[in-house]
Amino acid sequence: MKKKILILDDSESIREVVLFTLEKDGHEVLTAVDGKDAMKYLDGRELDLIITDLYMPNINGIEFIKEVRKIEKYKYTPILYLTTESQQSKKKEAKEAGATGWIVKPFMPEKLLAAISKILK
Amino acid sequence: MEQFKKKFLEEAADLIAGLEKALLVLEENMDDKSVNEEVFRIMHSLKGGSSMFGFHKMDSFTHNLENIYDLIRNNKLKLSREILDITLEAVDHLKILLENGDELSKSDEKTHNELSGKINKITQNIQQSSNEPPAKAEAKTNEQNKPASDNLPAVDEIPTYHIIIKPFEKIFKNGTNPLLFIDELSSMGHCKVYAKTGKIPLFDKINPELCYVSWEVFLATDKSTDDIKDVFIFVEDSCEIKISKIADINLPAKSLFVKDLDNLMRDDDFCDTYKLKELAKTVVEKEKPDDELELTKAKNVTSLAKKTAINNIRVASDKLDNLMNLVSELITTQASLSLYAENNENTELTSIAENIEKISRQLRDNTFEICLIPIDTILIRFKRLVRDLSQELEKEIQFTAEGTETELDKSIIEGLTEPIMHIFRNAIDHGIESADERLKKGKPKQGKITLSAFYSGTNVYLQIKDDGRGLDAEKIRKKAINRGFISPDANLSYKELLNLVFLPGFSTAAKVTELSGRGVGLDVVVKKISDIRGEVEIESQLGVGTTITIKLPLTMSIIDGLLVKINETYFVLPMTAVDKCYEVKTEKLQNNFNNKIKLDENLVPYINLRKEFDIQDNMPDVQQVIRVKHEDQNVALSVDNIIGEYQAVLKPLGQMFKDLEIVSGATILGDGTIALVLDSGKITNTFDRETIKKREEVLKAKIDRENLEKS
Repeated sequence: MKKKILILDDSESIREVVLFTLEKDGHEVLTAVDGKDAMKYLDGRELDLIITDLYMPNINGIEFIKEVRKIEKYKYTPILYLTTESQQSKKKEAKEAGATGWIVKPFMPEKLLAAISKILK
Repeated sequence: MEQFKKKFLEEAADLIAGLEKALLVLEENMDDKSVNEEVFRIMHSLKGGSSMFGFHKMDSFTHNLENIYDLIRNNKLKLSREILDITLEAVDHLKILLENGDELSKSDEKTHNELSGKINKITQNIQQSSNEPPAKAEAKTNEQNKPASDNLPAVDEIPTYHIIIKPFEKIFKNGTNPLLFIDELSSMGHCKVYAKTGKIPLFDKINPELCYVSWEVFLATDKSTDDIKDVFIFVEDSCEIKISKIADINLPAKSLFVKDLDNLMRDDDFCDTYKLKELAKTVVEKEKPDDELELTKAKNVTSLAKKTAINNIRVASDKLDNLMNLVSELITTQASLSLYAENNENTELTSIAENIEKISRQLRDNTFEICLIPIDTILIRFKRLVRDLSQELEKEIQFTAEGTETELDKSIIEGLTEPIMHIFRNAIDHGIESADERLKKGKPKQGKITLSAFYSGTNVYLQIKDDGRGLDAEKIRKKAINRGFISPDANLSYKELLNLVFLPGFSTAAKVTELSGRGVGLDVVVKKISDIRGEVEIESQLGVGTTITIKLPLTMSIIDGLLVKINETYFVLPMTAVDKCYEVKTEKLQNNFNNKIKLDENLVPYINLRKEFDIQDNMPDVQQVIRVKHEDQNVALSVDNIIGEYQAVLKPLGQMFKDLEIVSGATILGDGTIALVLDSGKITNTFDRETIKKREEVLKAKIDRENLEKS
């Protein structure tokens, strides 16, 4: 089923891989380069899923998740964050901020789809 | 994935450049946390991308690099010059990795291993001393014991937990690596890990995407059960986790317990908690307490990094070149349309032509702007050069840059880098003195090199200034005489003497060093700069320093010019050079033997372009004299007619005409005829006082000879 997904990553190539994969899977995708940029999409529109990187300029992933959770409308929107193996220490912080889960980089398109399908069900 | 890979390559090149820049900023202020954060973030992005797009060497390389800066940002490691040196070396290596991917040449491979070794050494030292477990998961064998915990003095009074981790087979699907939990657990305290490998099927039955292994962990920690649970955040639904406290003492530290445990674990079933508790009770031997360091949590520093170009798009530079060419063609075509409209006196067509003229002018300006890039983009190379060279020569040099937001056409920037590097090398190698010498001279110990860029009119000026030795005019004179460039009795001004260093084959350095004395002199700089229609000027004061000024046109391909005509031939003069136009009677010009005419009460050297281009027919009664200005010199040029302003699309003349000094190119007019574009700077130079004097002498000799022959 077609879902609305917002992705945040300061790396254009990663953004494009995610965008390409998700669009091919039939979803509507919005992209933002960092937390600050993404705030413009939190204007009350329907979002089914947010995927965010953790390290970004301006507003980073954790801060962004906190910001999202402050908005009533998006209190329960699933948020997955992208992380690398070495950044396990961020997990707790991300959970406390309100993240729903993670996706470990590097990921192949199939892995990404598997991860999000579980969330979107 | 291939298309993204290409994108990543571009992005990575930018990231590496940004990294180099950030590192150099960091070097100036080593304690700046925000810059360190930026460095870390870039490395992190680079790592993420390279792992994603199959650059495995780069992935592990940046991973190790990133570790260093992660330690620094968590205050576990102090940034030192040594670390920066290695990092910068690593940045150079990253460029190679980016270019070659995983396939390295033998020598590169060697550098790779050497550098990796150096980098690992930095982190290893610190990790050993602070008992920080390595962040990356290594392949674990059946029984594993963290090397770090071996070194720990054991604390007795901390409880031991028994943790069973039983991942579902499908756990790999969303990218979870169970080994990481074990890493995390082992970082929490003293632990003993046993892997249950009994479920692994025969080799040909193995599905590599499934997880067959389970673990049993005995962890002694002062953290609570909840803290342990937190490790498994997000994986509760893809793992079976069982945590139970089995004793109030540090069991993994008891050798007796471990021995019993080893026996127990031979069995592939999970241990019964009750049985374990019983076993724990039998262990009464006392050992030293374990002092596990509280891991300082990474403080989440807001990245103060400047926002990088959100609304930008990337365009391949050859596309821009194409666009520029098309715009040039359009302007040429537009000129013929305007001409046609004018000749046919069709008012409708004329208004359309005017509109197109307006639009194409705007299009031209916009295209120019697109092709402009700030000098900033090449600055990093200079910074790096200064840094590396000054270190190599053991000189202390401070490099500052001003006005680097100044923009130039990309093709000019491209042609600029090499000559400027050369000037820098000269300044660092020959200009700036060693610290001792400077102190003796009463100068500050640290030498200074400044690069400043600024606009002036339609030109951009770049100045490279050093406070070094300066040029010795007397030495230059002697050398020039030695080399036969000037005669011993030549009377040259200070400036003219300095300009001699630009002559081919002139080099003032007494000894040729490896750095700047590559047999390439400043003449090459001048040549390279003039290739991009720029000019070089030098100023220097002995003992105080040298300033080299490069004057550059904003753009190379289209210029605003003044269209003039001599007989039936058209010429274009760059508008920037034109100072004033006069009407002068031909006879006045002809009865003029010292080649000077009086314009506005000033005597100005005068060049008869008719004579230069050998055009004799149809001499008009009244000629137009155009005073052109170049630097501080005025020269008057005579033409028959001034047609008006004209946008000239500059086309190169081709190899055969490259020695034509006073012509910088040609342009195609609206009616298809070709007009030569004159280079006013070259004209004034060619005809400066010296030359004119010489010509006078030649002329005089000729007249004398003629007189002799007549008599």
